[in-house]
Amino acid sequence: MASAASVFLLNVTGQIESAEFPEFDELYCKYCFVYGHDWAPTSGVEEGISQIASKNRNIKQEIVWNFPIEITFKSTNPYGWPQIVISVYGPDTFGNDVVRGYGAVHLPFTPGRHKKTIPLFVPESSSKLQKFTSWFTGRRPEFTDPKVVAQGDGREVTRVRSQGFLTLSFNVVTKDLKKLGYSNSPSEPPNPLMMSRP
Amino acid sequence: MAEVHIIGQIIGASGFPQHILFCKWGVHTGGAWKLLSGVVEGQTQVDNPQNEEMAFWSHPIDIHFATKGLQGWPKLHLQVWHQDSFGRNELYSYGFLHIPSTPGTHSLLTPTWRPLGTWQEQISQMFVGGGPQLKSPSLIYGGADRYRLQTTSMGQVHLELTIIPRNFERYGVEC
Repeated sequence: MASAASVFLLNVTGQIESAEFPEFDELYCKYCFVYGHDWAPTSGVEEGISQIASKNRNIKQEIVWNFPIEITFKSTNPYGWPQIVISVYGPDTFGNDVVRGYGAVHLPFTPGRHKKTIPLFVPESSSKLQKFTSWFTGRRPEFTDPKVVAQGDGREVTRVRSQGFLTLSFNVVTKDLKKLGYSNSPSEPPNPLMMSRP
Repeated sequence: MAEVHIIGQIIGASGFPQHILFCKWGVHTGGAWKLLSGVVEGQTQVDNPQNEEMAFWSHPIDIHFATKGLQGWPKLHLQVWHQDSFGRNELYSYGFLHIPSTPGTHSLLTPTWRPLGTWQEQISQMFVGGGPQLKSPSLIYGGADRYRLQTTSMGQVHLELTIIPRNFERYGVEC
């Protein structure tokens, strides 16, 4: 069993907890993962689609999905560390599904429990004419592939509007990262006098 | 050789006079550093946020370096630009930070500044926008020529970066 490790494992469980969208209701979300060439999922679900959730006006204004995420990746190299890409959809005034937000975040790097709140944004029309036609036809601009929000190149041509936040929680377990020579946490507990503000 | 992974996001910016913002970024390293994979410069999306306090870019960064020494540890330099309603871009501010050397995930907030210019330039900037820009970006992350400048403070840029060094312990380097 104790052979020299050449791969490390990243096991993530968690959930898409909820979203804050002041303007919209009856939303559902999709998730998928974007990762580099050296990475491969070994078990778990790579994409999912949630129920349609609406707000409870009496209790709180959040939209709760409580949607599970369970996945394990293996890799030889942290380059291309997986990102979870979320897209949120909901009906417009005519009942057609339109996108209400895209967002992405890297899976946490250190073992333990992590909570992340990420901003969600939608692409905007680039010209006044397109703005008018999208208003007139009721079709708003979308990304043909939501995975572009996890990529850095080619972003300079996109104009977006951020509107709303999504909260995720993760439990992370790693295996053999140390054995491969990687350190993902400080070697000693950080100096309490040097703690940065949260 | 020891290796360093820098993975994370340029999250966004807050505290700027206008909120339609984007950012040009780059990573500068010394001669002993070799880029193995990833891109070291780029430009974010333009965000016109509904909540006007903060613009969000969620711009991913994933860089893999190999190095022979600690000299020239990577620095990230930033330029924040404002886009007005006519689609014209105007430089808002400069900023830089050293990539943290401690392994783990860091929430970072970097303050930014812009050159002031003469009083004539300041008045024309009040009416028509624009403003002085640096001729060479090395002034952003270098300290040698800064004393020639007069600057004023601008907003701040939010980042979350994770540092994963590899094989530093093999050379006795504690980080």
